[in-house]
Amino acid sequence: MDRIQIPATSRSPLVDFDFPAGRLLLRGESYPEDAAAFYGPLLQALRACLEEEATPLTFEVALSYFNSSSAKALMNLFMPLEEAAEEGRAVTIRWLYAEGDDTIAEAGEDFAADFSHAQFEMVQETTA
Amino acid sequence: MSGEPLAQGAPRRGGSLRGAGPLRRGDAPADLGFTGVPTTQDGGADTMRPGALRGAARGRNLDGLAHTLFLRLSPVIAAVVLTTQVVIAWVNYGDQIRLSGERAQLMADMTARALAHPGWTTDYARPLQAVGLDPAFRYAVLRDASGNVVARLGEEPRGRNFERIQVSAEIDPGTAAQPAGSLTLVLSAEDLRANAEKQFVMVLGASLVLMLAFALALRLAVGRHVLVPLRRLLSAMGQVEHKEWVTVDLAGRRRPSREIADISAAFNRMVEGLRSGDEARNLLAELERTHARLAEANGLVMESLGYARRIQQAVLPGPDATLGEAGFEVAVLWEPLHVVGGDYYWIEEIDGLAIVVVADCTGHGVPGAFLTLIVATALDRILHDRGLRRPDEILAVLDGVVRTRLRQDGTASDGSDDGLDCGICVVDRANDTLDFAGAGLALTVLAEGETTRVKGRRHGLGYRRTGREEPFAAIRLPLRDGQTFFLMTDGVSDQMGGPSRRLLGHRGVAEILRRHRRLSLAEQVSALEAALAAHRGPEPRRDDMALVAFRPRSG
Repeated sequence: MDRIQIPATSRSPLVDFDFPAGRLLLRGESYPEDAAAFYGPLLQALRACLEEEATPLTFEVALSYFNSSSAKALMNLFMPLEEAAEEGRAVTIRWLYAEGDDTIAEAGEDFAADFSHAQFEMVQETTA
Repeated sequence: MSGEPLAQGAPRRGGSLRGAGPLRRGDAPADLGFTGVPTTQDGGADTMRPGALRGAARGRNLDGLAHTLFLRLSPVIAAVVLTTQVVIAWVNYGDQIRLSGERAQLMADMTARALAHPGWTTDYARPLQAVGLDPAFRYAVLRDASGNVVARLGEEPRGRNFERIQVSAEIDPGTAAQPAGSLTLVLSAEDLRANAEKQFVMVLGASLVLMLAFALALRLAVGRHVLVPLRRLLSAMGQVEHKEWVTVDLAGRRRPSREIADISAAFNRMVEGLRSGDEARNLLAELERTHARLAEANGLVMESLGYARRIQQAVLPGPDATLGEAGFEVAVLWEPLHVVGGDYYWIEEIDGLAIVVVADCTGHGVPGAFLTLIVATALDRILHDRGLRRPDEILAVLDGVVRTRLRQDGTASDGSDDGLDCGICVVDRANDTLDFAGAGLALTVLAEGETTRVKGRRHGLGYRRTGREEPFAAIRLPLRDGQTFFLMTDGVSDQMGGPSRRLLGHRGVAEILRRHRRLSLAEQVSALEAALAAHRGPEPRRDDMALVAFRPRSG
């Protein structure tokens, strides 16, 4: 499984899915006009990766804004991770939010409720 | 110019060196001056396109210029060379004449001396014959003292004086008492004259050869280093005039003069400048055309969207939806991000119940607007046909309608995965209760300076089933005076901005609402809108916004 790297745009986040290293990253803002088109290939790649290997995975999400379609897409990404964790794979979700950003923190807490097997960490990033 | 008949006798251009020689000097001033130099185009026509640079190069073409230069210079040089040579020849000739005269005098003196003996009047033959041996000798006459001719040798010369040298010597009586007399000697000067003439002719010939060589060298040099490069420049200029961006490379065998090389370099720079300028102009024009096409396309899209907005607004509750009879003050903020949007609200009074629905369909713009139409139709059926009044029931049925409409219950993986967040309030003024059910959309209550957020279930309506959906549940709140209720989509709180470039969030919105709680509801909503814009600053909005605020009228 190859690494997927997509630079950030004003409407889509930086994507760095380093499957060989087991590190996935989304950073930036996410409100693409067609969220399904943007996240669809990522979801497929993630599924393929989960079928292939059994190495530990860490998924870092550091979004400062995402629209509801992106939220849905995130949920779609999280579900196979939770299933993989249920099957015994070491999966960690790191939800990064800026200090004082209640909206993103709250959204992270909402997502955390969906996980019972994967580890979901809330990580506050202090702004420099 | 070319049609002008050539003046009679004027040298034709290209007639090589005609009229250039020294012998034609007399002709030159009248016929070979500037005015007489023909400026025909026969040499330039092949390089000059019609209209190309004719104005600038009018007057004299390049060959003509060289010709004129040659014609003006060569007579002067010829005259100087010739005059010098003639003067030298003349001086030589004079010297020769003088020398010959002296020699003749010497001969005469010597002969006279040889004759000076007493019997010379009879014995004169030998000295006289000796004189006669001289090749230049013509005539000699011996006279006695009384002038009678004693003897003659040769023929008495006739004709022009300048062709002979005549000298005489006295025969002195001397000590030997010889009889006195005189000897007159005439020598020919024809050889000298012939010599001088020969010299003159040679000088003339040399001058001609010199002129010829000069003319040829000049022509060759001017042609090679000036005319040919200039022709190439002219030809290139003609092409440039027609926007063929050619440059001139004058390196090589026919090296131009330095000035022309400089001109060529400047010309090449100019062509480069023109070429890039022209390309920039073309690009700009292309850009303008593209821009115009884009503007037109955008205009069409915006026109179409404007039309769509009118339809969407017609589907939304009108301004008469005020819940006035149910005893509520209502204010609405509905602002799609792109003319039309996925945010939708419903305000209706049915059977004494005030029903307020706010929905946030996935996406915005046209796709969002499509979903709002499904929601509008579904709500109409749920509220009017099926008469449902419990918010959790309404949500459940709405969820089912959306799934059915978007065929989300099938197993097809390419089906829609869209949905909506929705919050519903059903207010019963008679019993002073408010029933709220939400799916991804919370109710904000502002009372006594405090805000409370009542959340429904996390997941929205629609979307493909994940199996994690929570059941719908309604929450009943007691209605009290001084309460204000807000149903708003996340577009209201998701305002990126501020010094730390962060989302405003629910707390930010709640704080703004608290700050303006004493205003009328409409003013409060306006103040919120202004505060949101202030928070955004230069950041663009991210989403559609919809907010319905309502508060029970007191009393």
